[in-house]
Amino acid sequence: MGVAIIAAVIGYLAFSEVGKALVYYLTPTELLAKGEAAFGETVRLGGLVKPGSKHGPDTNLWFTLTDGTTDIQVHTSVAPPALLKEGAGAVVEGRLGVNHGFEATQVVVKHDENYVAPTNGAVPSHVAQPGS
Amino acid sequence: MKTRILGVAALLAVIAAALFGLYGVPADLNQGDAQRIMYPHVASAWLAYLSFGVTALAGIGWLIRRDLRFDAVAVASAEIGVLFTALAIWGGMMWARPVWGVFWQWEDPRLTTTALLLALYVGYLLLRRLSDDPARRATRAAVVGLVAAVDIPIVHFSVIWWRGLHQPPTFLSPDKILHPSAPLPFVLALVGMLGAFTLAWTWLLIRRYQLARAELAREDAVRGGLVRRASAAAARPGVAARPAAAARPGLPASDDGGTPQPKAPAEATQ
Repeated sequence: MGVAIIAAVIGYLAFSEVGKALVYYLTPTELLAKGEAAFGETVRLGGLVKPGSKHGPDTNLWFTLTDGTTDIQVHTSVAPPALLKEGAGAVVEGRLGVNHGFEATQVVVKHDENYVAPTNGAVPSHVAQPGS
Repeated sequence: MKTRILGVAALLAVIAAALFGLYGVPADLNQGDAQRIMYPHVASAWLAYLSFGVTALAGIGWLIRRDLRFDAVAVASAEIGVLFTALAIWGGMMWARPVWGVFWQWEDPRLTTTALLLALYVGYLLLRRLSDDPARRATRAAVVGLVAAVDIPIVHFSVIWWRGLHQPPTFLSPDKILHPSAPLPFVLALVGMLGAFTLAWTWLLIRRYQLARAELAREDAVRGGLVRRASAAAARPGVAARPAAAARPGLPASDDGGTPQPKAPAEATQ
């Protein structure tokens, strides 16, 4: 009996609407799909930093977050984590402005579960690279 | 004596695993040395699962067999589980700050459900203090321990079910047992740390179990003494009840409150 209740609770959380409502961040597509509601509200936006999009100094940084179909340009004046790099995941918190630019008040790096051993000649991304 | 050998072996294993994790394997290409925190972090989280799983099973054991030894296992495991849950959270924060950029994110499902896990079992330990009746305490604890155990799979699968900041498991994931997403040396360091921590956990569990048995015996003896004293006072109303040791045969010395408990009762439970 007890086991059945426990299994039911877990199943409910895993597959119900309640479970789906627990969203830590929105993708660019999901954010823009909210239409008018997307603007002005503080949300978290997550995606990959589009290669070639990152420019500016740390305190006035521009980059584009993409989910593959939709891009949103992000601007931030808070210093991002050292591991923020093009092609890697990031979650930003802030607001979408009327010009479709996202003003982030917090930038968090989301890494995946894959780890790589360094090889000869490879430059670790946590080491500052010239020009980045 | 055997327990002591296990303790020394566990200590040496943890030292060896720590040295291997620090110096024997390279650090992750992207994260650098911070990634080495993964080894004790994952091992602590694993022991949190194991501890609370054992607490739940011991609770079932008590409910079925009504043997207080099950309850002693339950409290021992829960207390150690709280320790390792706190370690997992602390180590995770130390890892998160340099890599994610923040110590903590409340809305992340993994972090939030783990914080809940800690709160649940701190509550479990507090609940155990609410009753001085061992059987009632064991029953309440068993029920709460079982209900709280629901959070264990939720914590583990939170990174798969819900979108969050925390990365999915590298290793203890259903589809990755044979194909972990890390190079072999990393996996070895992790397996070594898991083994060493589990050895240490076993030692802690045995020690804490012995202590729980000694506590039960002491509680029993105190209750017996109080009953005897009360009945003696009732039989001879003119004589003030004196807590003379002679009136309570068979009590351990510590029940007189002064001298520290010698090791004998704890060893005797083995």
